[in-house]
Amino acid sequence: MAGEELVARDPTTALLSVHDLHCAFGGLNAVDGVSFDVQTGGITGLIGPNGAGKTTALGIIAGATAPTGGTVSFDGRDITRLAVHERARLGLTRTFQLSSEFPRLTVLENLLAAERDQPGDSLWGAVLGRRHWGAAEREYVERARDLLARFGMDGKESEYAGNLSGGQKRLVEIMRALMTRPRLLLLDEPMAGVHPNLAQSIASYLEELRDNGLTMLMIEHELSIVDRLCDPVVVMAQGRIIARGRMAEVRHHEQVLEAYLVG
Amino acid sequence: MSSGLQFYVTTLLVYACVDMMACWALNLQYGVTGLLNFAFILFQAAGAYTAAVLALPLQTANGGFQQYILGLGLPFPWTVLGAGLAGGVLALAIGLISLRKLRTDYEAVVMLVVSIIATTAVSNFVPLFNGSAGVSLVPNPFDGLNVDPLVETWLYVGLAAVAALLTFAFAQRVTNSPFGRSLRAVRENEAAAAAVGKNVARLRLLMFVVGGVIAAMSGGVLVGFIGLWAPSAWLYPETLVIFAAVIIGGRGNNVGAAVGALLVPVAFNEATRFLPQVGNPALIDALQWVVIALLILAFLWFRPQGIVPERRRVFPAARPGANPADRRVAESMAPSGGSR
Repeated sequence: MAGEELVARDPTTALLSVHDLHCAFGGLNAVDGVSFDVQTGGITGLIGPNGAGKTTALGIIAGATAPTGGTVSFDGRDITRLAVHERARLGLTRTFQLSSEFPRLTVLENLLAAERDQPGDSLWGAVLGRRHWGAAEREYVERARDLLARFGMDGKESEYAGNLSGGQKRLVEIMRALMTRPRLLLLDEPMAGVHPNLAQSIASYLEELRDNGLTMLMIEHELSIVDRLCDPVVVMAQGRIIARGRMAEVRHHEQVLEAYLVG
Repeated sequence: MSSGLQFYVTTLLVYACVDMMACWALNLQYGVTGLLNFAFILFQAAGAYTAAVLALPLQTANGGFQQYILGLGLPFPWTVLGAGLAGGVLALAIGLISLRKLRTDYEAVVMLVVSIIATTAVSNFVPLFNGSAGVSLVPNPFDGLNVDPLVETWLYVGLAAVAALLTFAFAQRVTNSPFGRSLRAVRENEAAAAAVGKNVARLRLLMFVVGGVIAAMSGGVLVGFIGLWAPSAWLYPETLVIFAAVIIGGRGNNVGAAVGALLVPVAFNEATRFLPQVGNPALIDALQWVVIALLILAFLWFRPQGIVPERRRVFPAARPGANPADRRVAESMAPSGGSR
């Protein structure tokens, strides 16, 4: 089909490559032979009607769900058997469909909790005391504050994340993911349940991140947002990929129309 | 102060130190990391037994009236250190089995069952720790000094206080460090903590072991003072007393845990001793458990953060001269919703 070459399987250059993923829960094939690549740069959209298997596929890529078959490669390395935290340390970080902030940590602490290579982030480092980790902490606080300011959340740094509005929680989650210095950010409906105005703001932040060179794979229902942000898109229905390419092209794809109308 | 009163006060002080150590251990596990360790008292018991059989002479030396393993006759620091080691090994073994695959609520049930099994096993397997009669005549570390018994108890208060202070310093450093923040992240949301690179299973197991070591050392300190230890001292409801203390004092706050230790196991359990007997002699004892349960409920309902809540961590403002960051899009995220 047209646009196929944009997401052609090419493991030598793809940042993320999933091959023949299967995932069955009992008799239900939630993901049924899914293969696609995510090239470096840009936002790849993963779309499809409810129950298409998008979130399951994302869960498998992030390591939260074990596939019953298939492989996931990240940057040329087979990561199918790695745990979630090991993938995160490689630079593969996800956000969740339901907001997953750390409620009784402040906004700033939510971000700091994602920081790597902090000498005080081990039992031994903690026992050695602030002298051992204070300098690194100051540096990370500064970095987190820059991020907060960029996302317009600097006034909220000492607020408990659990007290924020739904949209602000989304932002905290995205900023927290950015603190891990991801190479690929997996976003599961980052605008779901958010006021349309805030959703537009989140979209602009993502646009800005994309333009700054961050690679993302995003599940999204709102087609206008997909249209604005994602290129290419992968369309799933009933556990399979039914189309892929530019949004403008798959929009008119017969199977896609059918899936969206039926779904 | 009369010597009788002095014995009473010193006993209370040693219990206060031991209970505070236990509460800090449980606070690190439950208050900070979110581990529902319903077998907590088992680790204090393991430490007490270990310290006892390390300090006691061979079982034949007492005329063989009690049976127990080891009987190494070791002096003080080794008894408490050995207790800590035993607690850590036991926690590692139980943790490896129950913490790895199970969800938190199942874990709690497993812990409770482990605690009950352990009491039953130790009560009935006499050669280990003398069964339900327990071990007694455990030497006090200051016995060798041949001082007045009153001096000896005051010395022991000092020992317990040093142990408690060291535990407090340790617990504070852990809680207030970036590591403590990672633990709180695990408590708040395990999946999200893993997604930002935390090895959740490892952190939980580590804190299960750390708490086990401290709990066992508190047991070791206690048994050196009271000189005996038996299954009736560590029945599973005793865990609930420590939980009540941490919940009432303030989960996640070490000062709160200490306040809880002083209020629940020390003050509350002690005050009821002075009540006149009413009706059945077991009535007040039974009511005590009812009241502890009601206290837990009342606090969880009306003041879940406890008397001394977990501190909100506010970071000092940036140094003057730090670059103000780009605020182009700052206004658009106000809850009222800026349009663009």
